[in-house]
Amino acid sequence: MRLIWKLLRKHISIFELAVFFTANLIGMAVILAGVQIYSDVKPMLTGERSLIGNEYMIVTRPVERVGIGAPTFCADDIADIREQPFVVDLGLFAASQFEVDGSIMFNGRRLSTMMFFEAVPDNFIDVTSRDWRFKPGDATIPIILPRNYLNLYNFGFSQTQNLPQITEDMIKRVELGIRLSGNGRRDDYVGRVVGFSDRLNTILVPMEFMSWANGYYADADADEPTRLILEVENPGAPEVTSYLAEHGYAAEDKPSESSKALFLLKVCVAVIVGIGVIFSILSIIILTLSIYLLLQKNITKLENLVLIGYTPSRVAMPYNMMTLALNLSVLVLSIIIVAVAQSIYMGHLSDIAGFALSASPTTAIIVGVVLTAVIIVFNFSIIYRKIRDISQRR
Amino acid sequence: MPEIFASRRDLHSDIWATEVSLERGKRYLIEAASGTGKSSLCSYLYGQRGDYRGTILFDGEDVATLSADRWSTIRQRHISILFQDLRLFGELTALENVEVKNNLTHTQTTKQIVAWFEELGIGDKLHSRIDRMSYGQQQRVALIRALCQPYEFILLDEPISHLDDRNSDIMRDIILRDAATKGAAVIATSIGKHMNIDYDKHLCL
Repeated sequence: MRLIWKLLRKHISIFELAVFFTANLIGMAVILAGVQIYSDVKPMLTGERSLIGNEYMIVTRPVERVGIGAPTFCADDIADIREQPFVVDLGLFAASQFEVDGSIMFNGRRLSTMMFFEAVPDNFIDVTSRDWRFKPGDATIPIILPRNYLNLYNFGFSQTQNLPQITEDMIKRVELGIRLSGNGRRDDYVGRVVGFSDRLNTILVPMEFMSWANGYYADADADEPTRLILEVENPGAPEVTSYLAEHGYAAEDKPSESSKALFLLKVCVAVIVGIGVIFSILSIIILTLSIYLLLQKNITKLENLVLIGYTPSRVAMPYNMMTLALNLSVLVLSIIIVAVAQSIYMGHLSDIAGFALSASPTTAIIVGVVLTAVIIVFNFSIIYRKIRDISQRR
Repeated sequence: MPEIFASRRDLHSDIWATEVSLERGKRYLIEAASGTGKSSLCSYLYGQRGDYRGTILFDGEDVATLSADRWSTIRQRHISILFQDLRLFGELTALENVEVKNNLTHTQTTKQIVAWFEELGIGDKLHSRIDRMSYGQQQRVALIRALCQPYEFILLDEPISHLDDRNSDIMRDIILRDAATKGAAVIATSIGKHMNIDYDKHLCL
């Protein structure tokens, strides 16, 4: 083997191999980074602990006429929606049917407003709080506000009114004056904000409170709901949109942010991987040409080796070893690059997600090993074929 | 016969356009003038070229159908050759050129190889680069390489073209000795000068 290598290493161009190595390293690293990012980010958009509340959609009937009585969903509508295969779960919005006055002491001024409450079953709420409960007789009503409201205040209202900006924690410490009236009754309660929702764009109170208060202050049975909240597998799925269009329902937040984000992610990854694939293909072409040139320059020696009894595969061995070493080092280096990159971006993603994400470049390793195996097999086959052609020149 | 001879009508040959059988243990001399296809014949017998009409059978097997790997086996174990153009590796030393073959077949000891070098008068050239040696010296190295394998036939394509009579006789003795221990056939070609052997058959191309 030593002698064979001594014979065949002649004419090996370090420059050509270096170009191949660099190009293939870039290509491989880009491809692996692309698939790794995809596999890391995708579950954040679609999984259990999704960044964007993507599996939930709020469905309404659009208001078509100005008048009394919002369009509602009757029991048949609800039953029909519940039966749809894409619906995982369905919740009804219950609205307050009594008067609500909210007030707050702020900078020595008492700000007061009429308001309303809504409630949905707890499993649709993206906020967990120990204080999220109510039983008749309690003087405190837990409230969940949309995070949008706080943003609206901080970035819109407070700026123009010269008011200080406030944090979530500050709001949670504030006691709101709540006066409920109806059915000949009028009572004061303390409202306390226990959390902020990204999913539900309304002022939420616990369902237990709503059921009790609607009976107590409005003497009303549950009204037909005007809004439904659906848990669906993919809000962007065609069967969902066509069903909604068919029945004249409108979905708030459509198409879902996550579907858009997922689509964007797919496009970005496709572009990245595409660039990586182009690099890799170019690098493989360089290596192929380089090997062809090398074999061509050493053709007499190769022929002589075959003529004194060496098999084509044995003659191919040094070149196979060379490409094997090159490709394996490219694989190892690109996995290291991806692992380093991943540890950096996963830190940022964890910050966004608000929980720690585990980082291991498993996807990159699997894809990398498969790709490298394919490239190695391809290299081996062109080397073997070329040497076989040389040995069978008649 | 070679394809380029196909159109020739005036062919008078003991080999072309007739049936010849070469057998183990015998000694053949193939005599020819230049350009009558002597080296072509060696190339056909050794599976190096296939531009001939007719059939070459090795142990009853048509050599045209053999795979590259099968040919490798034949070249390692059954047919040895001393090429007219030697086909040595210029950047290797004389000994390395022999080792390239012997590492593949593992038939001779280094001691035997060195002994042959000594016997052929090139014992001091073991570690000289082949391309720095004279053609006659290279011819002797190529012979030693050809002996580093088991064989049933040894093809010698103008083996002594660049050797003096003394070295030619030494080479003959070594070849006959080695072929005899293997019970192998010796097939030598010549365009005039040939080894002084008691040939079983003279064939004219």
